[in-house]
Amino acid sequence: MEAFEGFLDDGGIVEPDDAMPDAYREAVFRFIEMHANSELMGGLTERDWIPRTPGLRHKMATLAKTQDEIGHGHLLYMVAADLGVKTRTGMLEDLFAGRSRFHNVFHYRAKTWGDQVAIAFLVDAAALVSQQAVFKVCSYGPYRRILKRIIAEEGFHMRFGEERMLRIAEGTDVQRSMFQRSINDWWWPALQLFGPDSRPDDVLLRWHIKSERNEVLRDRWVQKFVPLLQGYGFAIPDPGLAFDEEEGHWVSGPIDWEPLEKTVQQAGPDSARRIGEAAANWADSQWVRDALDRVAALPDVA
Amino acid sequence: MRTYEVFLKPDGRDEFRHAGSIEAPNDEVALVMARENYARRAEGSRLWLVDRARIVVGDEDFVAPNADKPHRHNDGARVAERRRRLREDGK
Repeated sequence: MEAFEGFLDDGGIVEPDDAMPDAYREAVFRFIEMHANSELMGGLTERDWIPRTPGLRHKMATLAKTQDEIGHGHLLYMVAADLGVKTRTGMLEDLFAGRSRFHNVFHYRAKTWGDQVAIAFLVDAAALVSQQAVFKVCSYGPYRRILKRIIAEEGFHMRFGEERMLRIAEGTDVQRSMFQRSINDWWWPALQLFGPDSRPDDVLLRWHIKSERNEVLRDRWVQKFVPLLQGYGFAIPDPGLAFDEEEGHWVSGPIDWEPLEKTVQQAGPDSARRIGEAAANWADSQWVRDALDRVAALPDVA
Repeated sequence: MRTYEVFLKPDGRDEFRHAGSIEAPNDEVALVMARENYARRAEGSRLWLVDRARIVVGDEDFVAPNADKPHRHNDGARVAERRRRLREDGK
């Protein structure tokens, strides 16, 4: 392990066929599996909004975003499966049985178009901030390479999110107050996506899977989004939020981690419904997998 | 099901590059899956798919001996040294 950690400290990159300590394999696998699950769960929510997205151009963009998220899930499940800890089917079965984790934000329900825009903007940005920090250093080669593609596409989503937010911000009072309610509901879940402060012995940091501590990433996100939302004329639902004039720095009020803990235990406000719908979707699409299996059994055409 | 490695060629100048992998029952389905997973925004104009089981691998140990063949390189130090001398003498 010491030699392996030295290799990682020197910027070493691990490939799937390389020898690696079991603990490293397990840690990288868990991290990628959670990312893959989150893309899939996010894609399924996005899909629900295709018929409800206003305007043809944005409806098509929602369609494209759904394909992107499901596509990211595909790529990540392939990368995760190559680690040999679980098969792709095994990962999906665990997800639908509530045995594996996905991001906290997908344990809440998106009730209005405002919610969906707040997610597209605040949550996608939070995910992007953390993915960029992994991409910068990640010691596991296949994940780092696939992140490059994923980050590029998340960039498209964020730009759509901001454009949608701008349209609402320039809209009627009804639209603006709807969006303020969405910010009130989604600010804290988005901020909690980064997790509590990193522990000093966090192996994800020690093994260069992540490059930056949770609190650093969370702070970077706060610095960007407080002025941005205020600039559009919206309020931040954090009574403890203060601006440190000397440092030129926004400081969040105390964070209640209880809601995050609930989502980790699959007991968030919408966890059961979300997991149930994802499982039902998996069952509904069984005929596609059956058809592919029948194709696989056919002899090759010369 | 087979696992295919996906290669994309971005434009006329660049070489094919490995993009990732996909699972598919045959070549025909694999092509569609690869296009929809790796080239949704035409990130490449051509696709190559290789069945992972057919890849011939030369591992690090196999390639390693060629990392220590200095006689196959020339750092140009001696010629640079002469040029520098001539430049300085010319002043």
